[in-house]
Formats: sequence, structure tokens, C-alpha cells
Amino acid sequence: MVRDYNNRHALDQKLRGAPKPAHADHLEVGHWQAIATVLAHVGLDAAVERALSSTPDLSLRYCGPGEWLVVSGVDTPVGLMRRLDMLCGTQAHVVDHSDGRVLMRLSGPSARQILAKGIGVDLHPAAFVLCGSTNVLCGHIAINLARTGEDVFELIVSRSFAESLFEDLMTMGRPFDLSAAFSE
Amino acid sequence: MTAYRLSSGGLVDRSKVLSFTFDGRPLRGFAGDTLASALLANDQLLVGRSFKYHRPRGIVSAGPSEPNALVTLGSGARSDPNTKATVAELYAGLTAKSQNRWPSLGFDVGAVNGLLSPFLGAGFYYKTFMWPKQLWEKLYEPVIRRAAGLGRAVLERDPESYEKSWAFCDLLIVGGGPAGLMAALIAGRAGLRVILADEDFRLGGSLLSETETVDGSPASAFAERVVAELQSLDNVTLLSRTTVFGWYDDNVFGAVERVQKHVADPSAKLPTERVWRIAAKRALLATGAEERPLVFGGNDRPGVMMAGAVSTYAERYGVSAGKSVAIFTSGSSGYRTARGLSAKGVTISAIVDSRADASDAAPDGVRVIRSGAVVDTKGRQRLSGIVVERSGFEELIGCDALGMSGGWSPVIHLACQRGARPVWSEELKAFSAPNVGNGLRIVGSANGVYTLSGCLRDGVEKATAIATELGFNAAAAPVPVTETETETEGEPSFAALWYVPGARSKAFVDFQNDVHARDLGLALREGFGHVEHAKRYTTSGMATDQGKLSNINAVGILAGMRGVSPAEVGTTTFRPFYTPVSFGALAGTSRDGHATPTRKSPLHEWARKNGATFVDSGLWFRSAWFPRAGEKTWRESVDREVLNVRANVGLCDVSTLGKIEVFGADAAEFLNRLYCNPMLKLPVGKARYGLMLREDGFVFDDGTVSRFAEDHFFVTTTTAMAGAVMSHMDYCAQVLWPDLKVRFCSVSDQWAQMAIAGPKARDVLQQLIDEDISEAVFPFLAARSMVLRGGINARLFRISFSGELAFELAVPAGYGEAVAEQIMEAGRAHDICAYGVEALNVLRLEKGLLTHAEFDGRVTPDDAGLGRMFSAQKHDFIGKHLSARYGLTAADRMQLVGLKPVDKDKDMRAGAHLLKEGMKPSTLNDQGWVSSAGYSPVLGQHIALAFLKSGRERYGEKIVVWDKLRDHEVVAEVCDPVFVDPENKKLKA
Amino acid sequence: MASLITCPHCGVRPKEEFAIRGDASLVRPAPSASDEAWHDYVYVRANPRGRTVEHWHHVAGCRRFLVVERDTVTHEVYSVVDGAAAAREAQR
Ligand SMILES: [Zn+2]
Repeated sequence: MVRDYNNRHALDQKLRGAPKPAHADHLEVGHWQAIATVLAHVGLDAAVERALSSTPDLSLRYCGPGEWLVVSGVDTPVGLMRRLDMLCGTQAHVVDHSDGRVLMRLSGPSARQILAKGIGVDLHPAAFVLCGSTNVLCGHIAINLARTGEDVFELIVSRSFAESLFEDLMTMGRPFDLSAAFSE
Repeated sequence: MTAYRLSSGGLVDRSKVLSFTFDGRPLRGFAGDTLASALLANDQLLVGRSFKYHRPRGIVSAGPSEPNALVTLGSGARSDPNTKATVAELYAGLTAKSQNRWPSLGFDVGAVNGLLSPFLGAGFYYKTFMWPKQLWEKLYEPVIRRAAGLGRAVLERDPESYEKSWAFCDLLIVGGGPAGLMAALIAGRAGLRVILADEDFRLGGSLLSETETVDGSPASAFAERVVAELQSLDNVTLLSRTTVFGWYDDNVFGAVERVQKHVADPSAKLPTERVWRIAAKRALLATGAEERPLVFGGNDRPGVMMAGAVSTYAERYGVSAGKSVAIFTSGSSGYRTARGLSAKGVTISAIVDSRADASDAAPDGVRVIRSGAVVDTKGRQRLSGIVVERSGFEELIGCDALGMSGGWSPVIHLACQRGARPVWSEELKAFSAPNVGNGLRIVGSANGVYTLSGCLRDGVEKATAIATELGFNAAAAPVPVTETETETEGEPSFAALWYVPGARSKAFVDFQNDVHARDLGLALREGFGHVEHAKRYTTSGMATDQGKLSNINAVGILAGMRGVSPAEVGTTTFRPFYTPVSFGALAGTSRDGHATPTRKSPLHEWARKNGATFVDSGLWFRSAWFPRAGEKTWRESVDREVLNVRANVGLCDVSTLGKIEVFGADAAEFLNRLYCNPMLKLPVGKARYGLMLREDGFVFDDGTVSRFAEDHFFVTTTTAMAGAVMSHMDYCAQVLWPDLKVRFCSVSDQWAQMAIAGPKARDVLQQLIDEDISEAVFPFLAARSMVLRGGINARLFRISFSGELAFELAVPAGYGEAVAEQIMEAGRAHDICAYGVEALNVLRLEKGLLTHAEFDGRVTPDDAGLGRMFSAQKHDFIGKHLSARYGLTAADRMQLVGLKPVDKDKDMRAGAHLLKEGMKPSTLNDQGWVSSAGYSPVLGQHIALAFLKSGRERYGEKIVVWDKLRDHEVVAEVCDPVFVDPENKKLKA
Repeated sequence: MASLITCPHCGVRPKEEFAIRGDASLVRPAPSASDEAWHDYVYVRANPRGRTVEHWHHVAGCRRFLVVERDTVTHEVYSVVDGAAAAREAQR
């Protein structure tokens, strides 16, 4: 018995169907993303960070000392694991999180105002800088937040919480007509 | 006798007429009115009944300190009780109802309470209704509740929505009056991130009712100009209709914004109210000052108002409080009101000044009575005259409104909410704000600066200082010029007058709680003279207005009676909230399904498609059982699932287990110290059951540990303790043993995990896997990564929580559903079924396997029959040392046993206690308790796990299972906790 | 209690992101230490008025245990440092 297995997205139930037109404030959910956790060996934080940040199409998200989420839009989960193993396999432990995390991209002129309803961190560009990232509480849910543009934020959430976070974000965005869809 | 709308003037828009109703009566007001100003304009003086005596009451103030004009706005589920008419913004279609009256406002039966007033004095709650106790519930409380009360809370579901938001700024300014606006302007221009919050719907504060000109234009026009400039600045946020209610640690402020309280048809997109948490580097308290009432006989008659409120209604709303207005003042402010009204053509019947000599200018032709005092008021439900006493002579002066002014108190509540006490200022004759550091500065009249020019200057100076402190460049800005103030006004002076002697009738201190001056005297005589005691004894200051008008007079009266300075009496404690905040606003969006987040398993959709009934389990939804056609009760489904697993095979979602990857050269050592059983020598490719203790020796959690490589382990925890175990591991690794080379992270969400259990489990699973998983190659407790046919990376574990031949298969979460479907397809020929957590529970119960129903924090490994797991040989692990203490090793500890009812048809429930036959239920006779119970379809009877004193020595004994809670009693036989397959033949098949 | 804590790894954060474990001055006794030492370590806690050091776990952030030195009366926070660094320091 051999078959192709379907990978079901955590927000499949919420977002399936015809894509709705994106409004000015929009929540885009990455359909397939390779995400891995990298845990630097004790004492090798700086070396690992150097190795990872020198690679162009990997995006590094800070979680805590010696711990990052690495996001790739070009690799498969297996491919990312292989690449990371080559980059820093002797200096760090690498754990696949492609299925365990969901990435959502919130963009638009009201993005900051929307997030301020859940996040107790100053999101002014002078305080939370472009390309900055951090673990943070959004409402009741722990997420990783990154600023990828002046008005663009990426939220990475544990899969089991994804629906809850999605519903919270849509509620927070209601005054601004926040729309949502899977990315193309 | 009549309040009325002046023919011109005010900041209301006379072209926008708004219709509203009060107690069903249709009335009209203008855009820009408050409910109170519109009621006054319609000559509706009587607006409520007092709390205790049901006395008729009218509007007293023009702001948030209002004690009397509390109404219920709206109707049905949307109604809002105890809304202050003085701050409620008028809108078309507003419906308001008066409160605390029956049957009507004009004729109120409860007013007989006034006749009973000798019995309703201070402390009446404590005295009159002390005894007998039983009468409290049956008689006193219902009667009091009905007779004395405010608005009614609504029992329907609140249809409004609410939200919360964080805000961060360099400078928060509380109050948008002259000082606040100037400060915002200076700071805004300098580039600070500024938030200006004001509870009014229009920014400007006292500028809106000011007769003075600023920089050559009317004060209100000046305010408008400043607001327009502030609106044009990106770095300034203006929050009108926003009350800053609390000041918290680290300069975080709480504020509530009434987003849609003032609209008849709220938009579904917007919240009704929004709570802000504002983290401010600096803050300015620009909350102004509160005028004090005078405590004289009959001072609560409708028509008696604060003099400043009379001015505000005239200047801002174009409403005169009466046709003939008298003033009773202890300072210059009363004269100012008189001048303003007079300029608008309103007759001033007299100015009664308590001072012997004063230089204040009265309007031309107005009679001034110096050293005078109002000792009584006349009229029924509205004022018709005042009795003025001077040098022993009394005189009746006709008037239909009285403006009273007893001086001013800075509004400093927020500054005192973090423990600092107000400071008595002999100069200001008021309590002023304590120095609370640079985080929060006090500005304007809240700072005791009572002239307009002074407030404007204070705002400029403080904002400049703050900008400089924070490294901004504040350009020198001129202070706006006021015109006439310096000549005629100067600092308003007043003589402190806490109580007007010679009262002919009740002189009220606290209008809302009906506390009059004599109540305070009684409190003092009965030993409750301390300000905190007097407050509770008399209830002065304990109403919804929290004594905003009354507290200072109560303190002054107590001071006078005790013969000390108000400084010595002190104030009661200031706490958030400054004004009442609705529970809805405080809850925000955290209600219904959003009170806590929910977690969904990657197999949720699979379970749903298979007809699962879900159950809440912590944050998770878990599939409880999978009913099939014809099954009428949950038990039928569960029994079928259990029997099918024992006979054939079943699939259960166990994805909710906590899963942790542990890496590092010291990973084995780390785990060895975490678990009470040995982990160092766990071979690669093997799993082991593990038991974690707390440092006090009791079981913390159980789970499995699998080793994938020398330096790579995979740990599972129970669903319930997943978070706690992870935090415990963080603590151990970081704080206890920071030098161990170990790193770990949760992968609970990465893997969908399913248990495939039953004699045919291998036959089903082998169809998905190329590798040989036979008993010889993949025996009990084998654990390995492998690849499913089709190329899915998976992990397979030969572990069992049912006593059957079983596997747990983990696949990346997204593939969970597809793989589960594939297993069901492969298992069809073997009669596979899906089973839920209820069947899982029965299966483990039949095998005497344990969960947190047993590990309840009072159980040692030995109690649970797992003493063999405790490795005394290990040098150290969490919980080792204290496990050896006497109490945890005593022979008569409660030990795990099984129970079977003697009468096979009887059942047992968890929570029941165990008693020897014939013994009375008592703590002393308690022999133990039932931890888990259920029906075993294999045995065809109920079974239970229990903890029983020295239980393992007592197999065969009969014991009473006593459940008083459910009034249930059964005799059961004590037995081994493993009910099914005690030799584990099926497990290792 | 503080409203905001400045995590050395994450910056200024609201207290909701943290779980407070308690006294950070305790040192886990050696396995061979006396029963009294173990009893004190597990059960006996001071309830200080004034300065105190506590472990705050940044659960929703970096997941590090931090040592927060604060005042139980004024609620002033004097310092926040990483718990592992503090533990290594203490062992030295
Ligand atoms: Zn942190």
C-alpha cells in the first residue's frame, strides 16, 4: 500500500474556499513554509548566529538566548533540515517545526493598531525595529513576532493555537475590515 | 422656579435638535448637550431619589463628581444603570429613566423612610439589624435592598462588545483643560509621542465655560485652535470620552474610552468601550480642581447646585439654572458665577457671603449679605427660597436656584493611588498631591494653580521640562495672554467653611449616601472618629461617586469636632478606579469562547469526520467517544470501543501529550536527575516509562523517555502537565544545573501522535511500513524513526497504555489526518475502530495504569505501587532526599488497590471515601478514597482504583465505599489493581 | 507588583508574560545535606518586607528564568538578570 499523503494546513478549515479580495489591512497565511528551531550548543550562540545570518534566503527569528526559528520560503522541510545541518550541524541542534508552527503575515496601515490590542510591546518603528523579532504574548497566546516591513509583521504560532489566534486577530482587526487568505 | 435655555450663547449646536425621553416624557435638547444640561433646559429639576431617605434630588454638578443625577440609560439588555446625567452625552433617541423611586419620581412611597430617619442614622446597619441573625436573610436584607438602592443591574446577556489595547508614549496628559492642552501642544511640537486623555466628549475643560479671553479670542475658540493643531500632529493621540481611572506600577495607566456610548445604533465593527493600558515615560496630571459644596440645612433640595456648575450650564450649554439665582459662597468664586449670569441677563437675588469682609466685586445692583449663612431652604420638590441668617436675624429670600461655593480642592486621586498620601496645604486649605517623582507631575489647578493664566503657564513649563528631560528640543513658547483676569480676579480666595451652623433641617455631607452632618457627630461620639472608621460607620464617601464632593467636608467636620487640623484627620485611601468601570470593559474580548484560547489536535478534523463527540480537556478539545448508529448512550459507544480494542484493534488520538526533544552531551545525565528511575543507560532505540517527582517526594508527572541517539532523547509528558514539566525542565537546566550541556525544546505541536492498540495492531500498521516491525525486530519498548511508505518521516514506539499489543505512531502534524485515514483503511479488514479518551480511560483502568486522577500530588511512587522504579542507587535526583522521610515511608500510607463491588450490579464513583464495615463516617475512620472508577465491559461490572491504608496487605477484605455527596454506599472487595491480563501476555505478543 | 519587567533578553514586557516561582536566594542542598537543610529548602519561606529576589520565568518570551530584585513595599524593581548567569555566579 503506497499513497501520497496530503498535508492539511492548520487553518484549512478557516481559509479554504475562494480567496477573498485583500483589503488594505490583510492577514496572509503562508500555505507551505519550512520552519526549524535551531538550538546552539552551549557557548556557541554567536557562531551559530553568524552562520545563519550570512545565508540570504533564510530568515532568522530570535526566540531566546541561543534559540531561533529559521524560516525559509524556498526549501522543503526536509531540505531546510539538510541545509541547516550543513550550516551549523556541529554547533547546534536542529528541530523541524514546519508542521508545528503556522506563519501569518499581517500587513496594512492599521497593522500596529491591530496588534496593540493583544501585544504589550511598543511596536513603534523606533522601538521595534525593522527585521526585529521576539517571542511575545498576543492575547493569551505565546507567539514569535517579527517586523518585516514598516507596516508588515509576521506572527509564528504553535499549530494547535493557530485557529484561536486567527480568530483573535480577526476580532482585533474588525474595525479595520481586516481580510484574510492563504498566500498564493 | 424655572430653569430654562438662554436665548443665545453656549457651545451647543442649536440647529441640531435631538429628541430624547426622560421617564417616558419626550424632551428635546441640542447637539453638544449633556443629558443634564438638556434636562435643565427642559426645567426637569427633579432627577432622582436619595439612597436612604428617598428625598427628592436634583442635578448638583456638571461633571463626573455628580452624586444625585444618576439615571438608567437605554433599555433591555442594553440598559446602563447609575449613569451620571452630567457626563452622558445627549444623542437622538436617548432614553433615560430615573432610579430608586416607586411608583414614580414625583410620588415615592419610600419617602416614608424620611419619617423613620431617627432610626436610620449612622451605623444603623450595624445596630438595628444585628439580631436575630436569621432575620438578616429573610427580612432585613430584602427590605433594605428594595428600599435603598440605585439602578438595577440587567440580567440579560450583554450584547455590547469590548476590547483592550496597549499604548506606549513619552508623555500621557490626563485632562484636556488649559494646562493639559498647553502641555500637549508644547510636547507635541517638540516631537514627543503624546497621548492626551479627557473624559469629556469635547476637549477644553474649563476653557469651555470660561468668560475670559485667551490671546484675544474667546477661551473656547482658543481651545478649538489648539485641538486642531494637535490633531494635525502624527505624534499626538487625542482620546476624548476617555477616563484615566488608575495609575499603576512602572507608570502604567488604565483608561476607559467610551467609543460608542453616545450613539443610538452602535456599529457592530466597533467596541462599545475600550480599555487602554498606557505605558508612559512621563505623565502629567491636569485634572483640575473640584468645587466644594457647603453643608447647610436643606442643602439637598433640587435647585441647589455647585456655583461652578451653574456657570458651566450657562456658559457652555446656554442654560440658566433658574430665573432668580442666589449665591452662597465662602470665597470669590461665587461672585464670578454671579457676574457671568448677570451678564447673560439672569437675575441674581442675593449673594450670601460667609466672610465678614471681602473685596470681590458683585454685579451692579446685586445685594451682598456678608457674614451671612443659609440655614434652611424652602420648597417641595424644587427650591423656592432660602432662609438666610445674619447676626441672629433670619430672612427669607425668594429664589429658584442656589449656587453654592465652598472653595476648591485639587483633583489628585491618581497621584495617590500608589500609596502616597495627600498632603494638607494650609495655604490652599485643601489636600494637595504628594510629590510622587518625575514620572507623574501635577499641573494646573490640580497643582493648586487657580488662575487661567497660571494654568496655561504651568502647562508650558512642565511640558518643556519633560521634553528636555527626555532629550527633546522644546522650542521656547510664549504663554498665551489672558485679558482681564489679573485686575478683577487674581487667585480666588476663600475661607474654609466645613459646616454652616444653625441648620434648621438636615445638612447633607454625602448626598448620594444620605449622610448628614449629625451622622458624623454620632460616629465620633460612638468612638468612630478616625477618618477610615467614620467613613465605614456613616458610609460617607462610600457611594458610587466615592465622595468626590463630600469627602473633604467630612474630613473638615471631623477635624472641627475633634478640634484638630484636617491634616491630622487625614484622608481615606485612594484606590483605582477613579470612576466606575463596567465589567464588560475590563473583560474586553476575553469572554465566551475567548476567555481562554482553545487548542486543536492535528487529528481534530479526522475525529470530526469520524463523528467524534468532543470534550474540553484543559485548553484542548479531545475526542471522547465515536458514537455509531443505534447507540443510545455514551456507555454503549465506549463499551464497544473497549471490547473492540481488546479483541481487534483501535486508533486513538494522543497528539495532546507533551513532547520534548532533549539534546546535548549531558542530556542523559540531565534526564537521570529529573526522573526517579534510571535513564543513563537507556539504550538507543529504546523507550522507557519514567516517573518524575517533585522535590518534596510526591509524584509530579509520568511519561516516556525514548533515546534516538547518544545525545538525543524524546520525552513525553501527560497532556495536563505538559506546560508544567517544560517549565520545570527550564528551571532545572537554567537554575539548578546551569553547567550541564543540555538543550531542549517542545515539539508538542510538530507531531500528530496516534495509538494503535489491540491484538491486530501490528497487522494493520505493517501495511504502511516497509521495515519489519515484528515482535523479534521491534519488541515491546522499541522506539525508532522510520519512513512510511509514501515517504513520510515518522517515529514509531512500541508502548501501550491499554495492556494490549500497541504502537504509538508520530507523523508531522499536517500529515496526521491523512495517515490516520490510511490506518483506518488498512484496518478495515481487521475491524479497526476509532476510540476516544473515555475508552482509553477504561482500558487503562482495567490494567491498573495510572493518570493524574491517581497522581494528585499526595502520592509517592510506593503508594502507587511503583516503588520499584525509585532508584535509591542514584546519587541525586529531584525528590530523592525528602522521599526518605518518615511520613513518606510509613507502613500505614494509603496504597493503590483495586475495588470490585460485592454486588456486581452496583457502581462506584471517584471521590468516594472508604470505611471499614460498621464504622461511622468520620475523618478518624477514613480508610482512603476512590481515585478512578468506571464500568469494565471485559469484566462486566464496575471497577475502581483506590488508595487504601496499607492496601496491599488487604486484598480480599470487604470495604464500604461511602459517597455522601451523591448519597451512595456500596460494599466492595479489595483486590489487585490490575484487573485484566495480570501476566502481560497480550502486551508482549 | 511591577506592571512591566525589563527582560535582559527581550526588553520591556508586561507582567502577564511571566510566571513567578518565588525566592531566588535558595540554593538546592547537596544530596547528603541534613534533613533540616532540605526541609528549609523545600518548605520554609521568608515573607520579606522590602527588598527581595525572586525567580520570574519569562514563559511567553525567551523562557529564561530571571532573577528579579524588587521591593515588596514600593514595588520598585532594582535589577533583572538571567537566572543561569546568577546561578553560575553563586556557585563560584
Ligand atoms: Zn525574555
